[in-house]
Amino acid sequence: MLSRSAQGLYWMGRYLERAQHGCRLLTDQMEAIEDQPVDQVDRRWRRIYTGLGRAPLAGGLESSRGDDVFMLVDAFTLADDLTFEPNNPDAIRSCLAAARENARQVRNLIGKDMWSRLNVAYLELREAGITEIWKDRPAEFYVRSEDAVRAFLGIADSTMYRDAGWHFLELGRFVERAQALASLLDAQLAVFPSAEPNVESAWHSLLRICEARMAYRRLHSVEYQPHTVVDFIVADTRLSRSIRHALGRVSESLEAISGGEPLAPEASRRVGRMAARIDDGWPRRDPDDDSSARSVLQEIRQSLWDLDADITSAYFDYDVRDRLPEAG
Amino acid sequence: MSPRPVDGSDLSPGRRLFAGYACDPAFYDEMFERGGVPRPHSRNLWEALDAMPPEAAAGLQERAERSFLHEGVTFSVYGEDGAEERIIPIDVFPRIIDAAEWAIIERGLRQRLEALNLFLADVYGPARILADGVVPADLILNCPQYRPEMRAVDVPHGAYVAICGTDIVRTHDGFLVLEDNLRVPSGVSYMLANRRAVRTSLRNLFRRCRVRNIEHYGRLLRESLSELAPNGATEPTIVLLTPGVYNAAFYEHMFLAREMGVELVEGSDLLVDDGRVYMRTTRGPRRVDVVYRRIDDDFLDPLAFRSDSQLGTPGLFSAFQGGNVALANVPGTGVADDKSVYSYVPDIIRYYLAEEPLLANVETHLCRDPEGLEFTLDNLDRLVVKVVGGSGGYGMLVGPHATPGERAAYAEEIRRDPANFISQPVLDLSCAPCLTGEGAAPRHVDLRPFILRGRETRLAPGAFCRVALKPGSLVVNSSQGGGGKDLWVLAE
Repeated sequence: MLSRSAQGLYWMGRYLERAQHGCRLLTDQMEAIEDQPVDQVDRRWRRIYTGLGRAPLAGGLESSRGDDVFMLVDAFTLADDLTFEPNNPDAIRSCLAAARENARQVRNLIGKDMWSRLNVAYLELREAGITEIWKDRPAEFYVRSEDAVRAFLGIADSTMYRDAGWHFLELGRFVERAQALASLLDAQLAVFPSAEPNVESAWHSLLRICEARMAYRRLHSVEYQPHTVVDFIVADTRLSRSIRHALGRVSESLEAISGGEPLAPEASRRVGRMAARIDDGWPRRDPDDDSSARSVLQEIRQSLWDLDADITSAYFDYDVRDRLPEAG
Repeated sequence: MSPRPVDGSDLSPGRRLFAGYACDPAFYDEMFERGGVPRPHSRNLWEALDAMPPEAAAGLQERAERSFLHEGVTFSVYGEDGAEERIIPIDVFPRIIDAAEWAIIERGLRQRLEALNLFLADVYGPARILADGVVPADLILNCPQYRPEMRAVDVPHGAYVAICGTDIVRTHDGFLVLEDNLRVPSGVSYMLANRRAVRTSLRNLFRRCRVRNIEHYGRLLRESLSELAPNGATEPTIVLLTPGVYNAAFYEHMFLAREMGVELVEGSDLLVDDGRVYMRTTRGPRRVDVVYRRIDDDFLDPLAFRSDSQLGTPGLFSAFQGGNVALANVPGTGVADDKSVYSYVPDIIRYYLAEEPLLANVETHLCRDPEGLEFTLDNLDRLVVKVVGGSGGYGMLVGPHATPGERAAYAEEIRRDPANFISQPVLDLSCAPCLTGEGAAPRHVDLRPFILRGRETRLAPGAFCRVALKPGSLVVNSSQGGGGKDLWVLAE
């Protein structure tokens, strides 16, 4: 397929995943505001901002310490920053707009139903604003927004022909998912160190964000042990929002795209190394010492950046002249 | 978002939609004969529409506009606040052309395109028509759209113009050709989008009226383009070349690529090497055989034409000259739809085909001729004056609607460069009923059918029917307040 189209589908996938991740973070956060103590809410904002690698608005986190009124005012400002702020490229609305712009580039390749669903979601979000959503339960707004993304992906899943186009969309989604999870876990350990007692709610919320709570309870326990939770979200291949699952999907799509030819060997090797790192060495550590886990998570984050560069140079942005057939 | 709100609030319930309909007898009415009797072919349509409660009609209109918005049947308008997407205005009342009328149009269009392609092959070849003095040689050779680079280029099947969109108007005297669009004609996606929206809204009526199908346009286009492939390739790789997502017609480019199942490329996706054209794919460069380009000649290839173009592909034109890729349309077709050359088209038809034109021209005065100039200046208050190379209704003077000051200023411009202007009488464009806030009301319309030419000529029985949505306005261009209607060509 045309390189520019493949790139459009890849980025459409990345931005949709990013938008969805934002919705999940904020759904959780809005509910925290309803029932968590102020200092817990404050720390969760720190987790979100650390995970996104974004500096909160000046003083936004400091001023909320110990004061319920300020906390709510700040929540309004911070949620606005992460949802509607035009200068924040990772704000949910910016992500959806970027996904739609990419979809527009590849509209001849995606079905009318896919396009309309995304377009309507964007048009609705464009009309929304923090003041309106604050009047009602803001959490519901984020659930609705995530549902719009999920509906789009459901239509894609049930309508798209499984050619390279589909796999570039998948590739974008799961590279982004692995990246978002690695960042979130690293931020979690930075803000809520495993050795610290009595922060059950923070681990509960992490599991929720990763759609992992029910499975965790059935598999492990109703008590949340930090290192078990982290291991679960890093390494369990059966959990859709785990790093290892995402890497598996990335690997499958890379294979489907190359069709057995060595088109992007470096990308495949890199994913293989990341997966092997998790499968072989990951869980063995002192449950109260996060440093080795955090350093692996940071390595994975770096590898995912490099993977993005591998994919770009193999499929989107190579020098055509290098690969022309021999003259004659 | 809606450019033309018709919410039904001004329509009193129970009032019939056509109760206040009155067409000025100066104009041909597409639905009614004189005296307000529906034309036989319109009876079904009129009965259905007139019996429709105003709220229901407003609902149909609203639904059509919403579907355009959701599907992104939009064009971009650039203003101070950046780009805004607007839907292409649509009126849900269809316009009907009966089988006999369509037969005239179809035969006339086939004849006209045949003659114009022969004309282009001649002016870029032996130039007999110029030597014989039928068309003045200086008119052609000095025309800015004349591309000397096209001389001695072998064009498959003589299909210089592979895609043509001809503007036709109807007056009391019958159908007239207003303009031949032979360069990069647009609007066919709106023909199909209007059909899909209106057919959904009026499905029972659509079935009852026995409307001919136009859904196969994408197939016709692909077949025509395939036939242009160099060296008789049977499964050629076709691409549609777009200036990109910021172009006003991007929706159409995307739509046509999708209908044909071909890649939608930008200039930077293509590369010319050793006289061959390739596109950048995820599996390496892939050879391209046919380029349906939606970029103007000037911007197609910075090596051959405008060197500052960022839109085209360097070397594309030389690959075409070398016979390694087909371009549709070929560069230089604008010499045949120039507004001065237009007035010679009837003679061109007679010259090559030895037939009388089946579709008449609009009476046209060339200001390059002294008599034409004098007539134009003497009658400025009754004429429409157009710039020869212009399009889209820009730079035009509508004499009767201009102030004396505007006319005087325009006259100065004409005197300064007479060859750049032509004049035509103000046309009494026919009217068709449209849904307005006050019920059905007449608005002026034209039609743009699309004719395709590969090895053979193909035509879908339909057209983009343009409508001037402002009361009394004769300007149907979408850039100037025009919209579209579905056009129903009836089966025998």
